[in-house]
Amino acid sequence: MKTNSLWKDAFIRLSKDKLALVSLIIVLTYFFVAILSALGLIASNWSQEVGASNLAPSMEHFFGTDIFGRSVLLKVIRGTQVAMSVGVAASIIAIPIGVLLGALAGYFGGWIDDFVTWLYTTFSSVPNIMLLISITLILGKGIFAVYIALGATSWVTLCRLIRGEVMKHKEREYVQAAGAIGGGHFRKLFRHILPNVSHIIIINTSMQFQIAIKSEVILSYLGLGVQGEPSWGTMIDDAKLELVRGVWWQLAGATVAMFFILLAFNILSDALRDALDPKLKGK
Amino acid sequence: MTTPLLSVRDLVVEFQTGDGIVRAVNNVSFDIPLGKTIGIVGESGSGKSVTSLAVMGLLQKPAAVVPQGQILFNGLDLLTCNESKMRELRGNQISMIFQEPMTSLNPVFKVGEQIAEALRIHKKLSQKEAWEKAVHLMNQVGIPNPALSAHKFPHEMSGGQKQRVMIAMAISCEPKLLIADEPTTALDVTIQKQVLELLHKLQQEYRMSMMFITHDLGVIGDIADDVVVMYRSNVVEQNNAQKIFESATHPYTKGLLACRPKLGANPRRLLTVSDFMTEEGKEKVIPVDRVQVFDKESVADKTDHVLLEVKNLVTQFPIKGGLFGGTVDHFKAVNDVSFKIKKGKTLGLVGESGCGKTTLGRSILRLVEPASGNIIYDGKDITHVKHEELRQLRKKMQIIFQDPYSSLNPRMTIADILVEPLIIHNEGGTKAQRFEMARALIEKVGLKSNQMNRYPHEFSGGQRQRICIARALMLRPEFVICDESVSALDVSIQAQVLNLLLDLQEEFGLTYVFISHDLSVVNFIADEVGVMYAGKIIEMDKASNIYKGAKEEYTRTLLSAIPRGETKQSLASLV
Amino acid sequence: MTKYIIRRLLYMIPVLLGVSLIIFVLFNVVSGDPTAVLLGKNATARQMADLREQLGLNKSLFSQYLDIVKSAFTFDFGYSWATKQEISQMIWQGAYPSLCLSIPAFVISTVVSLLISVFVAYYRGKGIDLFVRVCCIAGMSISALAYILFFQWFFAYKLGWFEISGFEEGFPNFISYIALPAIIWIVLSIGPDVRFFRTVILDEIYQDYVRTARSKGLSEITILLHHVLRNAMIPIITYVVIQIPSLILGALLLENFFSIPGLGGMTLNALNSSDFPVMKAMAIISSVGYIIFGLISDILYTVADPRIKFK
Repeated sequence: MKTNSLWKDAFIRLSKDKLALVSLIIVLTYFFVAILSALGLIASNWSQEVGASNLAPSMEHFFGTDIFGRSVLLKVIRGTQVAMSVGVAASIIAIPIGVLLGALAGYFGGWIDDFVTWLYTTFSSVPNIMLLISITLILGKGIFAVYIALGATSWVTLCRLIRGEVMKHKEREYVQAAGAIGGGHFRKLFRHILPNVSHIIIINTSMQFQIAIKSEVILSYLGLGVQGEPSWGTMIDDAKLELVRGVWWQLAGATVAMFFILLAFNILSDALRDALDPKLKGK
Repeated sequence: MTTPLLSVRDLVVEFQTGDGIVRAVNNVSFDIPLGKTIGIVGESGSGKSVTSLAVMGLLQKPAAVVPQGQILFNGLDLLTCNESKMRELRGNQISMIFQEPMTSLNPVFKVGEQIAEALRIHKKLSQKEAWEKAVHLMNQVGIPNPALSAHKFPHEMSGGQKQRVMIAMAISCEPKLLIADEPTTALDVTIQKQVLELLHKLQQEYRMSMMFITHDLGVIGDIADDVVVMYRSNVVEQNNAQKIFESATHPYTKGLLACRPKLGANPRRLLTVSDFMTEEGKEKVIPVDRVQVFDKESVADKTDHVLLEVKNLVTQFPIKGGLFGGTVDHFKAVNDVSFKIKKGKTLGLVGESGCGKTTLGRSILRLVEPASGNIIYDGKDITHVKHEELRQLRKKMQIIFQDPYSSLNPRMTIADILVEPLIIHNEGGTKAQRFEMARALIEKVGLKSNQMNRYPHEFSGGQRQRICIARALMLRPEFVICDESVSALDVSIQAQVLNLLLDLQEEFGLTYVFISHDLSVVNFIADEVGVMYAGKIIEMDKASNIYKGAKEEYTRTLLSAIPRGETKQSLASLV
Repeated sequence: MTKYIIRRLLYMIPVLLGVSLIIFVLFNVVSGDPTAVLLGKNATARQMADLREQLGLNKSLFSQYLDIVKSAFTFDFGYSWATKQEISQMIWQGAYPSLCLSIPAFVISTVVSLLISVFVAYYRGKGIDLFVRVCCIAGMSISALAYILFFQWFFAYKLGWFEISGFEEGFPNFISYIALPAIIWIVLSIGPDVRFFRTVILDEIYQDYVRTARSKGLSEITILLHHVLRNAMIPIITYVVIQIPSLILGALLLENFFSIPGLGGMTLNALNSSDFPVMKAMAIISSVGYIIFGLISDILYTVADPRIKFK
């Protein structure tokens, strides 16, 4: 007799979706490249001159070379490392804050809820881009400031979603039943409710990851992001002046690299929502 | 014999799902003569609703396909009609009422507008004429103050009124055929009766044919001319309604007739469909003692020990208002309720939605905090006990909820769900011993122990309710509150669960408070019955006395609202 | 209803205090002493002290916070460090070019997205629906920077159809300057807009009341335009209104690329010269915009949805 948990069911549904599977493979590949680069196994020599200045793409240099004769491909790989690290760091900051605050507010209500609601209303009242550029500017330009800035902005949505969902589940009979058999608040919240809302974390993280990548590119373009290292944003910044001279490959390299990871995350987010959110089942 | 208005011939409907093709309707044939009412009866998933959607041409395409069959309406095969032809017929000659009045009306339009809409497109009435006709129709379906009510939005009306609006909408163009899909299932019993009478009256007045779909054979006893019984996508029996009730031939039909508890005389355990036929559909012979009428009151009380006493209990909820959303008043959901239950007995609480019966149950268990009054359990006042004492109390007092779909944690296996109470109270010894206890109990409630590693969504509603019962019994409680525990189930499943509750009561000496909106169910299971209305118990007596001589007008209304499809048939004739 | 609005209005106060607190913590507490940056390396201690006095930085932290709160109500933000101009004056001047670009772009992109979504909702599940969805997702996966760079290079530089950059006041002069950035704005917004609108409309199509409407014999078009859209408009209105304050902030990147002297460009200049007062002013003003339009969108929501009752 076969037996499946909802997670396993969801995974089976997901694996039937070819497009989602391909997207997952793309995402994992990007992670793999980023990790190899972070470990210094690939692209560590990106700053070396490999050929003449501004060489067009060829068999030898897939994405061509930049003004200093450095390989654009290696710069794209370093940029991948930066972009993925920003997504991961933002999630590591945002998930604990968002889940904890949202769960406590939704479960206990009262003044805790009032406080948390005020907190995220306040944060979401400052336009994201203003908050991002202000934080990175104040904390001193650099990748660390970008991590903090994105962490500080991306917990808000998660917190609001978790709060709403916990409030709904709190009234469900299975939670009441847990109380009736003598379970305390801790058990009701962490053993019963959270596993039932945890799919929201996955779906939301997948969406926030795209936002983090896009934001990093813009911040780096503005000169607020990573310093002295290549990033997709700084490559696009370079391209701004190069384009009139017909040098399009830095722009193309960064855009194509960004396109596939965003596309994959977009498709994956949709597929995850369909697979994990039982409300949409059957549609 | 005249030609019937609607004639369904060898209809087959299949659905393409992820796991292949599922046949929802298999070779179904029946006729609806002009001006007659046909009842289509079957449990959920028997294909009755799909049949009606096929007649309306509302099957969800492309998932649903009709590989075979004819649906002749006045000689015209609806299956061959194109969409624009069907649109001409829908709402005009054939119209439909759905089960869920809460969601079936568009929330952002006034109800008058929604009734007028069909008149404007089919009868080409002007805006004003259509509105006037709509008001007239609302009057006809018994909505008070129709000229004003027409300006209301759906959420401003009660469920019964919304269903009346749906009916007004359906009959607005004087259709020849009215399809009613479980139109009263979501309503309270007294409202159900009114809506049934209304439908019957309108059907006579407009000389409509009606196709009435329900899972409860009892409901259509009074209004159907013919009955079609569906079981697992097939029609198993069809006949004149009188004949069905007097001399049903198919064992499934017999089971359906017998499983509904009757007011007054009942056997010791209800008969169920499985008493009449085997899994494979073969007829079974029922032992005579299974149908003998049982008199609860002939059994002497084993003890006079009062297990639970409730004194002047009040539970209230704040009404928020004012500028800062402060509490401006309180709504007393339970208002000064007192009663006693002896050990091993069952107290039935009956009342309609909103009467406070659920809040009362939860207050007794202290899942909701009462405002005043006392709860005395086994001689000890538990109204204000806290922390550890309250935790200890949970071992003795348990609850079984209404909705079998939301009362089990979907992310836990059955084994985990059952063992959890033991873990919380640190009982039952080792892991293996705990599992063994769970296994023994799961078999006792009629499930197989090899299903313990499965998850709740893999079980049917009735099976889930059995799991809930097992969970409540894991700590070996003495006292159990059953809060509408059988209301969400089909009648045939309901009987099985009621029997199980009685078996367990006998075996473990349980004391029950059984909460339900259905007086016939309460009458069957309870020794004593309390009738609740607006937060108070207005009448309380032995079950048989309530049935024979209710003193309160409201109780008599409840009694008369119980569908009486089963009347003439004696239990013995079923054997 | 009035009670609800009053309550909602009063709630703006704690939120505004909170926003001021965020800005205060960032610019006045975490940022450290800005005088060194402003005066350069060779500044004397005396000069720095004078400047601090001048900028009000030697006040207590609490009164610095109060100044920020006050500016949120009076819109008096003091003077820019970089240009020495009065900031409220700068904002006033910058608003015109920003709005010339953002209003037409916003209106057109919203209307076009809505039309496309209704169209694809009608043909849901068909080829055209799939095609539009693929375009939306693919379009959203390209960096905004790439669009701007490519469009500017191709349409303005290569083909010479539009001005490459700059701005001129007065109708119709500005049209030739804002046309290309407006087109880019529209292209950028259509993807996410259509995706959202389509989802909202399809959510409604599967409701029970739509089945009732079908059983009345209404045509698909009537059902979609009358029944479904009226319900879908509720979340759509909120979504659209909540975006309006971002028009005030202008399009940061677009204004920067096309040298449009609007508020977005001004913010980026302030960012490059560490002009804290201007950054603070923009943060406050855009937050106030968000709060006000958040309120408007909440009120519209309750007006559009008769189910919401006011206690």
